[in-house]
Amino acid sequence: MIDATHAYSEPVTFEPAVFFEEVTVKLGGVSILDRVTASVPRGGCTSIVGPNGAGKTTLLLALLGEVPYRGEIHFSSKINKNLRMGYVPQRLTFDRGIPITVNEFMNLGFQDKPLWLGLKTDLKKRTRKQLALVKAEHLTERKLGALSGGELQRVLLALALAQEPDLLVLDEPAAGVDLHGEHVFCELLDKLRAELGFTQLMVSHDLATVTHHATHVICLNHRVAAEGPPCEALTDDTLTAIFGMHMGLVDSRSMPFGKSVCSAACCKGDRLA
Amino acid sequence: MPDLSPLYTALAYVFPLECMHARFMQMAMAGLLLLAPMTAAMGIQVVNFRMAFFSDAISHSAFAGVALGLLFAIDPHLTMPLFGIFVGLGIVLVKRSSSLSTDTVIGVFFSAVIAFGLAVVSRDPASARNLQMFLYGDILTISNSDICFLMGLFVVFFYYQGKAYNRLLYIGINPVLAGTHRISVGLHQYTFAAFLSLVVMFSVWAVGVLLVTALIIVPAAAARNIARSAGGMFWWALGISVFSAVSGLIISAQDFARTATGATIVIVACAWFVLTSLVSIVVKTGR
Repeated sequence: MIDATHAYSEPVTFEPAVFFEEVTVKLGGVSILDRVTASVPRGGCTSIVGPNGAGKTTLLLALLGEVPYRGEIHFSSKINKNLRMGYVPQRLTFDRGIPITVNEFMNLGFQDKPLWLGLKTDLKKRTRKQLALVKAEHLTERKLGALSGGELQRVLLALALAQEPDLLVLDEPAAGVDLHGEHVFCELLDKLRAELGFTQLMVSHDLATVTHHATHVICLNHRVAAEGPPCEALTDDTLTAIFGMHMGLVDSRSMPFGKSVCSAACCKGDRLA
Repeated sequence: MPDLSPLYTALAYVFPLECMHARFMQMAMAGLLLLAPMTAAMGIQVVNFRMAFFSDAISHSAFAGVALGLLFAIDPHLTMPLFGIFVGLGIVLVKRSSSLSTDTVIGVFFSAVIAFGLAVVSRDPASARNLQMFLYGDILTISNSDICFLMGLFVVFFYYQGKAYNRLLYIGINPVLAGTHRISVGLHQYTFAAFLSLVVMFSVWAVGVLLVTALIIVPAAAARNIARSAGGMFWWALGISVFSAVSGLIISAQDFARTATGATIVIVACAWFVLTSLVSIVVKTGR
């Protein structure tokens, strides 16, 4: 097992796993994405940053084939065949009254035999292992609708990982989870990525998270403002360009040696020490 | 059509009651025992997908389906289910390809099919007499061929449910998530709409247009009150639906009741709903 802290220094190959070429999305006559060209390096954690309504989620939905777009989305030749994508949505909107256990939910896409004939024992075991990966094995018998925001995100992550994805797509995975929870969630993702070797693409509007965990950043506000490693892409100019007056959360000038620094409490001191 | 009289006679032994001596009661029982599990299974998905209004629209297209039969001199037994499927698929098609909200799309179809049905019927006052039968339903006039068809539908339906139950539930929880799991969302939505339309149309014969939605959703809603898992909800809904159908039919035939069968079935199911609601309140406050 690779220590999570080493994940940051792992070299990232810059052969793109996904390449967006001139992707344009118009919905109801409004231009959401305007000729977006960007790449997602394989094996890294790419973060899409931008203000609300910048088209971050739309770019992910285009990738998932859920919105029609013009332009091309290329996948790396190595994973093009039967590319497996795992998707963790931003706050899953679902009917919380549906009586379904976490165990059943995790196997909806894996078991053909209808749930009313029971779950297969080997699938139950597998689910327990998968939930253990995200430290949620105690949730197996709980009702899905009774989970807290953070617990639900863990279960959704476990479900996405259960599909053994080549590409893990996350849309603000920690939205609605408190700051500490968000940090823990991203730490967990870094560790799992180092272990399982998937490519991670996530949307985030929290710059502290991005500078802390991303290896590659796409700054988006309808079009791409900048792209590259966080220390290069997140300059004062770029941040002002996409966010307007940025909040001073990130000091772009204090990122020596490609290390990113953020002002979140979790980073104070210990990371550079 | 095969002769099912041994089956009917057997039912008289299973339910040794005086009212079950009549052949029409035995046939009604056979019809309900086939229909109730199907409405229960459909009800789970209708409740989970929030599609009660959809099944309402389909049931109200029964008028138009019958009217079409009258117009072209085709047996309404044929035009009604076919027209139901047509409306069901039409709603899914328009819903998937427009940005209108689901209830608006259904509302448009709902009004169109009712208006069409009424327009045709109003031209021919004689056919208006048939309408009452569709409003209240009449399981007691079910024919041997109806039951044979229901048997066929029962087999195909539960084969489909066996294959698609988990995936339909997945889509019901979140279609995008199901899509990334390589589940064909569109195909499942169309096939589900087609099966729902068929089951709704057969239920119209049994309990009438006004009560079809109740027959479908009440057992599932009652099951949802007490079930703790998706598997459990299925068996609860099935049990409540079959119990309500059997006891409703028997009660309606008693001298003290002499009520319409469809209405009695729905009343029993609603009693289950009240009971399970109370149970769920007690369980919640007890925690």
